[in-house]
Amino acid sequence: MIDKILELAVDKFLFRFPAGLFYSDAGIWVRFEGSRARIGLSDFTQQRNGDVAFAEPKEEGTQVRLGDEVAVVETIKVNLSIPSPVGGKVVEVNNDLLPSPELVNQDPYGKGWLAVLEVEDGEAARGALKTAADYLALAKVQAEAEVRR
Amino acid sequence: MPNLPRKKVGLISCSGEELPEGTVTRRAVRKVLETLRPDDTVTLCLPLFLAGGEGERAFARYYPTIAVDGCNKRCAALATEKYSAKPAASIVVTDVAKESGCGAIGTARRLNEKGQRLAETVAEKIVEETDRLLKKKPRAAGRASGREKR
Amino acid sequence: MKRKISVVPCSGIGKSLGAAAREAAFILAEDLRPDKTKIVALSLLVMGDEEAKREVVDGEAIAIDGCKLECAAKGLACSGAAKVHKLAVFDVVRRHRGLKPEGVCDLNEDGLRLARATADEAAKIVDEVDAEGGHA
Repeated sequence: MIDKILELAVDKFLFRFPAGLFYSDAGIWVRFEGSRARIGLSDFTQQRNGDVAFAEPKEEGTQVRLGDEVAVVETIKVNLSIPSPVGGKVVEVNNDLLPSPELVNQDPYGKGWLAVLEVEDGEAARGALKTAADYLALAKVQAEAEVRR
Repeated sequence: MPNLPRKKVGLISCSGEELPEGTVTRRAVRKVLETLRPDDTVTLCLPLFLAGGEGERAFARYYPTIAVDGCNKRCAALATEKYSAKPAASIVVTDVAKESGCGAIGTARRLNEKGQRLAETVAEKIVEETDRLLKKKPRAAGRASGREKR
Repeated sequence: MKRKISVVPCSGIGKSLGAAAREAAFILAEDLRPDKTKIVALSLLVMGDEEAKREVVDGEAIAIDGCKLECAAKGLACSGAAKVHKLAVFDVVRRHRGLKPEGVCDLNEDGLRLARATADEAAKIVDEVDAEGGHA
């Protein structure tokens, strides 16, 4: 089943948000897969921060609380500390990002995923996240402020 | 018809490595974007446009564009028309240089002082066209719109 | 006299990487290997300029791209060049971790360092082609 994609246009930039995902305020998407959550940078986050040169998730086995650093992403412009959108344990990291960090930019919701976590409390985790429509509204405000800056 | 944001003018300049006038186009466009009309303009990247960049081509389809070319080969103007829509205005730096009688302007790699001044003149022409396309009252081209853009 | 290798930078105007690609092309063609290389404008090539095409057709070319969108490499792929060597400033950044290039018209120090490092890598490609006797 093809996920509906919400789109936001600001100037010449087009941002996409699959409707079936959840999103944190920090712009990290979450796909729940049973008791697990696959995470990555939203299209807005990756476009805003530029070409990813290094993407380094915490190693497998690392326990993180909601908001703890779960990855470091270094772009041409900035070094980002990625706050975990859920609490849990890192059970899988995307090793394809080592040779090909540009996957985060080219396919942020597909091959550019960062890590998979075993989630502690799935219901609480969902409750703390935004739907695609709500996140789009937030991204719109942020994108317009960015363009004005 | 997509839900379109506020109207802005797209500036598309040639890549311009072969002539110093090409470098003038880059300086002029960046000056307008960053300082003179940061709220009213966006740049469209010509290489990306040519390679199929959907954001650039879509923008040029729905919004007015100004093509700024170094010479009469007019790569930026022709590419915009070919892949999107005819630009609303077209500026050719060799024509502006002839009008202003500025003489030698340096190299494609490094403009001299005359080249820098020519870039300022071209930037002013871009601003005039931008204001015309957005139906704004003419203001002194050297006056920024209030905010510099990063 | 051996045919020169065409150097085609992306010269993207939206990012400092494009500016670094452009500067790297100038460093290569004017400082490091002026007798062996010649810059060809990407837009002329893609728009079908006969003079630009003549420089590239059946010869060797180096595409210097800023980022992984590879606009110059894509443009050269359809140009009739016998062989296209690809180099992206983005990859050079990964080999020089910590550099943060800024500026488009005027690159900052990191941007200039990056351009120089890219030009050095491109010069090695030129030397390899030369050693293979690869000019048409």
